Amino acid sequence: MINLSNIQVHFGSFEALKSINLEVKQGEFFTLLGPSGCGKTTTLRTVTGFINPTKGKVEVDGKDITHLEIEKRNIGMVFQNYALFPTMSVYENIAFGLKVKKVSGDEIKTKIDEIARKVELEPMQLTKKISELSGGQQQRVAIARALVTSPSIICLDEPLSNLDAKLRVQLRNELKELQRRFGITTIYVTHDQEEALTLSDRIAVFNLGNIEQIGRPDEVYNYSATEFVCNFIGDINKLSSDFLISAGANSQNGVDTSKNCYIRLERLYVNNKLEHHLSCDAVVENFEYYGLYIKYALNSNGERLKVIEKNSGSPMYSIGSTVTVSFNPENIMQY
Amino acid sequence: MFLSQKTIKPMRKSKVILGLIYLGLLWFIAAVLIAPNINSILFVFWQDGDFTMRAVDRMFGSQRAINSLRNSFILAPILSLTVGFIGISLVMITEYFDIKGAKILRLGYMTTLVYGGIILVSGYRFLYGSNGFFTNFFASIFPNFDTGWFEGFWAVLFVMTFATTGNHMIFLRNAMRAVDYQTIEAARNMGANQFTILRRIVLPVLTPSLLAVTTFTFLTGLGATSAPLLVGGPNFQTITPMMLSFSRMAGSRDLAALMGLFLGGASIILIIILAQLEKRGHYLSISKVKTTLVKHKIRNPIANFFVHLYAYVLFVIYVAPIVSVILFSFTDAPTIARRQLSLSSFTLQNYILVFSNSRSYQPIITSVMFSLMAAAGVAILILVVCRIITKYKNKISSIVEYTFMIPWLLPNVLIAIGLIYTFNLPRWFMFNRVLTGTMTIMVLGYLIIRIPFTLRITRAAFFSLDNTLEDAAKNLGAKTMYTFFRVILPILLPSVLAIFALNFNGLLTEFDMSVFLYHPLHMPLGVQIQNLTMADVAQGDNTAITFVYAVLMMVVSSVVLYVVYGRGSRLNE
Repeated sequence: MINLSNIQVHFGSFEALKSINLEVKQGEFFTLLGPSGCGKTTTLRTVTGFINPTKGKVEVDGKDITHLEIEKRNIGMVFQNYALFPTMSVYENIAFGLKVKKVSGDEIKTKIDEIARKVELEPMQLTKKISELSGGQQQRVAIARALVTSPSIICLDEPLSNLDAKLRVQLRNELKELQRRFGITTIYVTHDQEEALTLSDRIAVFNLGNIEQIGRPDEVYNYSATEFVCNFIGDINKLSSDFLISAGANSQNGVDTSKNCYIRLERLYVNNKLEHHLSCDAVVENFEYYGLYIKYALNSNGERLKVIEKNSGSPMYSIGSTVTVSFNPENIMQY
Repeated sequence: MFLSQKTIKPMRKSKVILGLIYLGLLWFIAAVLIAPNINSILFVFWQDGDFTMRAVDRMFGSQRAINSLRNSFILAPILSLTVGFIGISLVMITEYFDIKGAKILRLGYMTTLVYGGIILVSGYRFLYGSNGFFTNFFASIFPNFDTGWFEGFWAVLFVMTFATTGNHMIFLRNAMRAVDYQTIEAARNMGANQFTILRRIVLPVLTPSLLAVTTFTFLTGLGATSAPLLVGGPNFQTITPMMLSFSRMAGSRDLAALMGLFLGGASIILIIILAQLEKRGHYLSISKVKTTLVKHKIRNPIANFFVHLYAYVLFVIYVAPIVSVILFSFTDAPTIARRQLSLSSFTLQNYILVFSNSRSYQPIITSVMFSLMAAAGVAILILVVCRIITKYKNKISSIVEYTFMIPWLLPNVLIAIGLIYTFNLPRWFMFNRVLTGTMTIMVLGYLIIRIPFTLRITRAAFFSLDNTLEDAAKNLGAKTMYTFFRVILPILLPSVLAIFALNFNGLLTEFDMSVFLYHPLHMPLGVQIQNLTMADVAQGDNTAITFVYAVLMMVVSSVVLYVVYGRGSRLNE
């Protein structure tokens, strides 16, 4: 469907994208994830045509669109702040792209009624001004506006970043539902790893103008390809070689203690040693109660560890008490 | 490659249009903004094909010229201080302190926005002049009172101080309203008293705006025209009236141009200093949630009383001329001459006189037409310029950006002199047309002097535009022109209309430039008012007509402001 090969972008002497290669499949929800300034938005804007790459090729369905004008690409876009035209009504905003394409008035009305129904915008909301809508409604208008012209691809540039936490979760679900309903190929940009993990079919993790890993959410989380990915996605413990050796880790159980070793918080167990697990004692220094789970801060001979325990309802470990921490050496990520 | 012939053709077409726009702008820059000013320099230093210092020698040999230069350089700094003091007071009274009747006071202080320039000066002259309302009142109390007191430096300073606080009421007031109240609360929470809060929290935020308006005031003081002409008397004439006088004498025109260059040089130095000061930094609020300013109660009752008294005395000073002008415009000539109102003296005769005599109403039509054309012209021109400098980053757009600043650096009179002395001959770059003495040069002059203000505000509006809107329109398939007219222009329209209204109002009674450029058969209102005011104070008819003009202009200005701002705010909703 979309193919980026060897894309390089320079802004003056700054190399924003070094050499990007990726492929997005038909109907896929593909996320570009990374910290600020990593090149994810530059990649998206290269696909939509707002940025001309210094080198490389952008292809859609085998056609080279690298230098095709923006308005001829047939790629819908939802902007970070939605970019809804403030002087137009909701209806006029959605109709804008159709009017540009000189679609007849009757057809515009039919298409808008249809898309409004799909994104769950009430008919009375169509006559409203943009400023009269809530954040969630604005997002739906932005999506409707991007989809009404039947683009082959839709690009979303951090559309949830300006919203409060609760609305963000709600709209995230709506967004996924809409994407499933329309079955449209989607490229989504975010710096929020949770958003990327929950929404995406596949994720490309960006760092300093490069792609570090492309994979399914479970792949990038469980089998992070690089140290950067493993640190960027989710919370993690970095384990020192002293700690690993004292717990019994060695080459026989697959751990190279000379490497940088990491383990996810939920892969450490408290007072629950299973077969083949390595273990050591630790003192509870602190805990944070989250309701669904409890996050403990432990100290094992100077090694600080974070552990997440599901809240089963049993009493919490008290501060100062000694516990046994165990882990499966197979779960250690080594770089 | 995927580019079809269909996609290439529109690209070429848009490039041709852009090329033509560039060509037009470059012509305007060369012929209108640069050539006349270079010509002014040549006019002074290049005569009969040789370099000459004759004008310089003559200027330093002329006591009148030296006096006027000295007077301008005395007036400008002192005016900056007095206007600064009064201007800050007005902003404090209307926005910072809790003063009873602040809304009414604000209206009074803002009257100079619809009632300024030469009309305002004639209003002050009516009240304080030799036969003025207050002069007669003081003379009745103190028999030895000098009835000619309102003349010279102090009269000019007084009139100009109250006439030029308009910028403070717009820009400084806006800056004050932008102060984040949470910073004040934080300071109070840390134990700061009212004075410390004012000095350390509020005033630093106002500093950039204060610097900008003070520079404007300084330049206004340097280029003072109508106030010294009407109330300066023989002993206090400044550069511009002297230039006007020299420019009317055939043998002294080089002297007029040289004084203009002097004024221009001083302005440029001042603007460079301001730019350096501005670089030291703006204070932008970084609050996540900004709260609006809550007015401060003055806790000390004595201080509170005196601040209230001061506020209302200022109010009377601002409102007295406007009220008397409106009232006396409805009275007969003898009443105006006596300055004594009675019910029986009210009449509509003055209005009938103005509207029944073409010589009286012609200046109104002339000024309205010239102002309309210039205000619309400059709005469109600067819209194009701003679009180019914000959208296209290339050498030509940089040239356009910087050269359009030229009128900001030069005083209006120098521009006027440059235009007169350049276009009094057929010039190939003006298609061999002589413009001096025509109506075109008036509109051109009006347009040029409104460029700096229009450029500043329009540019700010362009920069505050959300770039993603244009990206969104493009993404939805819209071409550049379609995007501009359907998306960008509707958003900018309230600002453009507001600028149009302010330019139109500012030009209606324009005097400083008109007096150099006007066509004898199409005398603009400013010049007409000056002629009537200067003719003879005792002539009640003249004063009455001036007052009718003043009232009509206030009505027109107010209607324009209401229509535009009303419409603008609806568009903004």
